[in-house]
Amino acid sequence: MLEFLTQSPHFYDYVTAGVLFLGVFNACEILFLLYNKTKVERSELRRGNLKRLASTALITATNPADLLPPPVTEDEFAAYSEAIASVLDSFEGEVAVKACQLLTDLKIDDHYRRLARHRTWYKRGNAIDILSSFRLNDNKAFFLDIFRSEPSTDVKYRILYGLSRLTREHAEIRELAELLSTLPYLTAKYTEDIFFNIISTLKAEGKEEEFGLFMKELLDDKLVLNLVKRDCITACHAASCERGRGVLKQYYEAHAHEPEIQIAAVKALAKMGDFALIPQALRHADWRVRLTALKYADLCCMDMLPEIRGLLRDPSYHVRLAAGMTMARAGGAARAALKEEASSQDKFAAAAAAYALTQGAA
Amino acid sequence: MKLFLLWLAVHASQYVIFLYFLAVNTTYTALIFLALRDIVRHAYLTTARVARRQLASEHYFKPVTVIVPAHNEAAVITQSVQALLNLHYPEYEVIVVNDGSTDNTLARLKEDFKLVSSIKPVRLQVPHEDIQAVYRSADYANLIVIDKLNGGKADAINAGINVSSYPIFCSIDADSLLEPDALLKSSKLFLEDDELIATGGIIRILNGCTIKDGAVTEIGLPRTTLEALQVLEYTRAFLSGRTGWNALKSLLIISGAFGVFRKDIVVAVNGYRKTVGEDMDLVMRLHRHCRDHKIPYKILFVPDPVCWTQAPFKLGMLLKQRNRWHRGMIDALLANKAMILNPKYGATSLVGISYFIFVEFLGPLIELFGYVSIPILYYFDMLNTRFLVMLILLAVFWGISINIGAVFLDIYNFRRYKKTSDILRLCVMSAMEFFGYRQIMLFERLLATLTFRKKHWGTQDRQVFENKEKTA
Repeated sequence: MLEFLTQSPHFYDYVTAGVLFLGVFNACEILFLLYNKTKVERSELRRGNLKRLASTALITATNPADLLPPPVTEDEFAAYSEAIASVLDSFEGEVAVKACQLLTDLKIDDHYRRLARHRTWYKRGNAIDILSSFRLNDNKAFFLDIFRSEPSTDVKYRILYGLSRLTREHAEIRELAELLSTLPYLTAKYTEDIFFNIISTLKAEGKEEEFGLFMKELLDDKLVLNLVKRDCITACHAASCERGRGVLKQYYEAHAHEPEIQIAAVKALAKMGDFALIPQALRHADWRVRLTALKYADLCCMDMLPEIRGLLRDPSYHVRLAAGMTMARAGGAARAALKEEASSQDKFAAAAAAYALTQGAA
Repeated sequence: MKLFLLWLAVHASQYVIFLYFLAVNTTYTALIFLALRDIVRHAYLTTARVARRQLASEHYFKPVTVIVPAHNEAAVITQSVQALLNLHYPEYEVIVVNDGSTDNTLARLKEDFKLVSSIKPVRLQVPHEDIQAVYRSADYANLIVIDKLNGGKADAINAGINVSSYPIFCSIDADSLLEPDALLKSSKLFLEDDELIATGGIIRILNGCTIKDGAVTEIGLPRTTLEALQVLEYTRAFLSGRTGWNALKSLLIISGAFGVFRKDIVVAVNGYRKTVGEDMDLVMRLHRHCRDHKIPYKILFVPDPVCWTQAPFKLGMLLKQRNRWHRGMIDALLANKAMILNPKYGATSLVGISYFIFVEFLGPLIELFGYVSIPILYYFDMLNTRFLVMLILLAVFWGISINIGAVFLDIYNFRRYKKTSDILRLCVMSAMEFFGYRQIMLFERLLATLTFRKKHWGTQDRQVFENKEKTA
């Protein structure tokens, strides 16, 4: 059997060695599993204790660095960084200042800055995430510096996220938006998150008008992607940025061929109680814009009932249902019209009206 | 001449078996290493800090439809739906599709959730059997129940897709329980990556766990060896198999028990196809569609959203299930044969599909051939007993290594089984699998290969999983 193998002088020695190796390897794997289990349990306990100690020291002690053992292992750095990030999320004023000071005293920020240049991309990404959570102003220049030399796009997205928590001036926001446009577009959620962070930081510092200025500049900025502009508008409504409100109508007018920007503008304004765009949005050629407008039409535009009633015959299934729901919500004459439509000859309009009436009743 | 040909065939077959053994074990070992790399990376990038940030930003989510196909699931349906209604997610709807049940599944739903008739117009985007009625719960605004003629699981999910209102849907088996944050963890991936079209989480075995109010409160290994062996198999299949295929961009299966999909792309491939392996078939067609139309896409397995499912607790049930899985795989491969060894489909075809053909499909035949050849070689006095013993030892020890490697991936990173006794038992199962269990499964897969044209699903016994420990 397989003579050329079995007749070689050391064949069985090699196979026996292989079997023995696998046997020993399996035993080692089991031992390592048990060792690792114990090690992780101990490390979790130690990490939890250190986190509690660091949080207590930050809140109660004048100089917390005197009470805390300097971190040596990666676990200890992680425990301190989690405790400090959590304190920075929950406290302002003196406690926050002490937390930032502790980062320097225990050289935690230095440690993660070193790790941010690690050769493995996900370790760099993790270090950037941790540095972002500290929101240290000193890191702004560091982030911009490593952004230029960073080869991984995944890490670059994280650097920009970190920068979004440190941006204070409209020129900086514009720079960030332009840097964002140099990368492949990731997702709406990511970009919105970036602008949401910026608006939240500016609002906390009473500098919301900086975002209004940025929005004006962004309107004609050719270096910034339209998708980024759209997400900026969405963030504006998510973070309730009133200062961006004035310019939103200009975005709607200026981007006649960008329905996604127009939808974002209609939504953002409507959420702020401004329904000025709804009538023209109801007549828009793109069904998605009509659909968005219908969601708010019952609050402002029931004088347009004939037009809304006409949308029960819209080619889009979603628009037909939304028109029915708008009329059902509005009540009064709209509901009466809906009842008439429920027995209409147009089976699509009739189905949408009948469904909306049952939903309204529920 | 005839004797020479026989001699040649016997010799050639030995080489085939030996090379097959080396290739398969090398593949499994490589998958373990790839999975380890992927899981470590995932652990680094999914820190508690990132998770907190994502949970905090409530503005950002995509509404999801959870579709639950149910055929004769009266024993578990109420608890299952109740658990789904308790998920942590800002906006979602649950659509239960009663697929022509002959038991009182619909009656239980009507009674327990106060269902009332609904006349929501339904768009026929993907084909399915006629819908007889659509109900809405008077108690839960986000619960819809469809009553339709029996058409099978694929057909039921298609009906759910047509009735659904949201851009992403999650299909889940009626006998499974999602962890409360599983939907959040899996659907957030669609926000993070516009190219993602489908994702699946890990399926873990419910047997042996303690369940309270529709949630798993204590995790433990099942008491019986049959069920514990399945825990090992699932761990290996998901943590080393699917994570490894992920790394090779060749993931071909998203489990039918828990998968999340972008609706527009599933509608573009005409929804699920009626077959017993509808989950693998859909994923293969998604790959094919995106490649054919040059659509940038990703199909990912993520190891942390968890779906708990009931594993068969009787051998007969298990064999039926495995038979169905194997028939489903063969059917999916045949239905998508244009993708076989076709460079147009890249790694998906050359790596993923090739693995399924040469290892999963041909594997049982080659393995059987190996077992059968032993007495034949012995009869012709051509059996080298020493070599055979060494080969068997090598195969078993290597196999055990691969199994313990998979357990290692789980315990190292996820630590679901915390008791030392459970970990040791999983290690013992790693060895036990090779003595009887593997051969029984091999036999069933061979039977499935011979009867792959059968389309029937068979039935499975269910246990009520409320407030008690799940053991057989």
